[in-house]
Amino acid sequence: MSKKVLVFSIAVLFGAQAGLAMASNPDTGPGCGLGKLAWAEYKGQKEIAPQVLMVTTNGTGMNTFAISSGTSGCTNDGKIMSEHKTTVFAALNFDALTAEMAQGQGEHLASLATLMGVPAERHAAFFAMTQERYTSLVQAGEASPVALVKSLNDAIAGHPVLAQASLR
Amino acid sequence: MISKGPGRNVRALVVSIDTVVLALLVLLVSLLVPFPSSAQQSDRDQYLTQLIDQAAQENLADQREWHLLLHYQKGIFGGYESEQDDPGFFMSVHGKRDPAAELAATLAQFFSAELVGRSQQPAQCAFIARYHWLKEQLKFDPLRLPPLTCERFDRWYNDFEADSISLIFPSAFLNNPASMFGHTLFRVDQKGQTEQTRILAYTINYAAEVPPDAGLAYPIRGIFGSYRGYFSTIPYYLKVREYRDIENRDIWEYRLNLTEHQMRRFLMHAWELGGNAWFDYFFFKENCSYHILALLDYADPELYLTDEFVGWTVPADTIRLVVSKPGLVSEITYRPSRSTVIKRKRESLPAEERDLAHRMTQDVGELTSPAFTRLVPAKQAFLLDLASDYLRYRIETTDSPKPEWKERNRAVLTTRSQLRIPSEEFVVRPFAKQPELGHKMHRASIGGGWRNNDTFEEATFRGGYHDLLDPEVGYTPDAQIEMASITVRHYNRADQTRVERATLLNLLSLSPIDSVFHAPSWKLNIGMNTIRHHDCQLCSNGFFNAGIGGAKELQLLNREVLFAFAETEANISKAYHELHRVGGGGTIGMLADLTERWKFMATGSYLKFPLGDKSDDFRWYVGSRFTLAQNWTVRLEYNHRDRDNDVVISVQAFF
Repeated sequence: MSKKVLVFSIAVLFGAQAGLAMASNPDTGPGCGLGKLAWAEYKGQKEIAPQVLMVTTNGTGMNTFAISSGTSGCTNDGKIMSEHKTTVFAALNFDALTAEMAQGQGEHLASLATLMGVPAERHAAFFAMTQERYTSLVQAGEASPVALVKSLNDAIAGHPVLAQASLR
Repeated sequence: MISKGPGRNVRALVVSIDTVVLALLVLLVSLLVPFPSSAQQSDRDQYLTQLIDQAAQENLADQREWHLLLHYQKGIFGGYESEQDDPGFFMSVHGKRDPAAELAATLAQFFSAELVGRSQQPAQCAFIARYHWLKEQLKFDPLRLPPLTCERFDRWYNDFEADSISLIFPSAFLNNPASMFGHTLFRVDQKGQTEQTRILAYTINYAAEVPPDAGLAYPIRGIFGSYRGYFSTIPYYLKVREYRDIENRDIWEYRLNLTEHQMRRFLMHAWELGGNAWFDYFFFKENCSYHILALLDYADPELYLTDEFVGWTVPADTIRLVVSKPGLVSEITYRPSRSTVIKRKRESLPAEERDLAHRMTQDVGELTSPAFTRLVPAKQAFLLDLASDYLRYRIETTDSPKPEWKERNRAVLTTRSQLRIPSEEFVVRPFAKQPELGHKMHRASIGGGWRNNDTFEEATFRGGYHDLLDPEVGYTPDAQIEMASITVRHYNRADQTRVERATLLNLLSLSPIDSVFHAPSWKLNIGMNTIRHHDCQLCSNGFFNAGIGGAKELQLLNREVLFAFAETEANISKAYHELHRVGGGGTIGMLADLTERWKFMATGSYLKFPLGDKSDDFRWYVGSRFTLAQNWTVRLEYNHRDRDNDVVISVQAFF
């Protein structure tokens, strides 16, 4: 995923609450628009490069105030709302997830499985399923992280081993 | 509200409306109740007075824990001052400098449900660590000082599912001035977390808020504390992406042994700092590493960590300090950067397969070539994964990545997904060992030698940090940062004692180039030395030197790095006609690890100065270092410059 997405998503997600205040007012905005935001910023990173430099400088870290666009509807006091955890994770780690689905294993994929309620002993089956359906899952993911999560859920529901184990 | 489905979407809304209603109610009650019942009002006042008296008797305002909670430091001329700079962090207008007034005002505020601080909560919740500490010390009567529920804190706290705390060290990254010394942050490890899912944990990170267009103002303003630093809770997976995937920095993770009680204190104080505090950010001392140590100090006041840092706080030093505390660190984990993974995977392959993997990143036609398809599936998978690692490395480290890289990566991954076997685990050994094994930051050395027809003794102090000949264990390979160094030398025959050399800043970064990695090497050196020029035998000479070039790694004996620079230099000295000269030239050199303890470096330069004092210089340097112990080394060095020859043997101690 591009640097810009990282900058942007940190700012949108955590700028408003986390950076300035892990404890600011509870966010009661109109829902979490992250998927759209992260995807919309997928291209053209050049103009953002100096900003990335600043954002990724450690010690200095991210710019919290200037970019923060108010409430994003995804977080509360700097924590991602539980109902958005899976989508936010899928959105911010799409490239790593794509690679790991193809490779049939990996920590991002295992983390996604955990967020989706797949117990550890079924992770191998989950990995094999994502490898098998790689092409269609990536297509779904390119549309939106919500679509990716939905496709995964559908695939789990139709899977002989995963369906019974899933905690959905 | 607990129902699943659509109800969950509005839960947050409902909760917060509840909170608002509750807050209004409390406000209403606090407005209404005192007036009809002056007895209650006077009881409140009475109890507050009693608590303040009791606190005074027990000297609570002088206790270490109160000072830790409020970040008070003793001033040079006596008295106290808090390092914290957000006025909303103090309940008293004099709170920044008056621990006792702050304590009294805090107690008074605990009786109120008024929303305070940047986070807009009642004082009991906004400053929950203070509340719990004072409650413990003064044994609050719950009837006379009723405890408030802190829903926001509880939700925030429970969401961590905290099991332990890890100290995280992304190692140094010389090509960014802000990352030269590395960084530290905490990760709150979750219950049930595995090695595979620890990226889901939250971090507690302290960083300066820098405007996006800061540019060159950043290092300057950063040094003088004109940025504000804030705490935040960013998921670890974003930090891993930033450090491991984009900046290509290895990460070391140190799991800490904290008791459940200590962990709760840690998180309560983190809540106070995250919601209501900011600090002026000082690049050298009050930086990321310093302020996060304060959290550990409050978790366990017996640790005395921040007191160890007076002038500056270097992340690697804080790691060394934490590791040196008996029993504090239980487990150390290494997380290689993507570039380290690529290098190690390439190393493990025979040359023809290494070339094949590289060709696959340039031409997807290779994916169907017989050279590739005749390999066993496990080997195909390994090469495909390496090709994808490399393409993603190019995509993430380039400002405007070529679209074909993404297309090739997709083709590689599609082919990979058709292999239907999971990738085998590949264990990556680090190139640089963990930071606590490295030498300490300051260096003092004494030595003696010959210069031309004279003999001398010399003593050097260097503020920081590491040069190419220092023991490389624990440091980023082939990178040098020297700051604030001064050498005083006494010449015996000339019977003269003088400042022989001084370094303001001497940076050098060698990035070996191969078919995969192409970053340039560079150097920057600002300081003074002593030269022999024209009629002047010993003349002070100020210099500025900057260069750019390339490096190549060999493995003939052990490990050798060859390098070449094109450079420019300006000199100022009374030895020159017109007092100055400006010119340019080049340097070639070699750095070699002869054995684990023995390192060797040789360089040769030619510089021509067409401006000012028209002259040229041939320079040779040959140096060799032997490591006696982690913090002790000896060196033998030879410097030649025109007609000037200098040999010095010296011993170095790091402290």
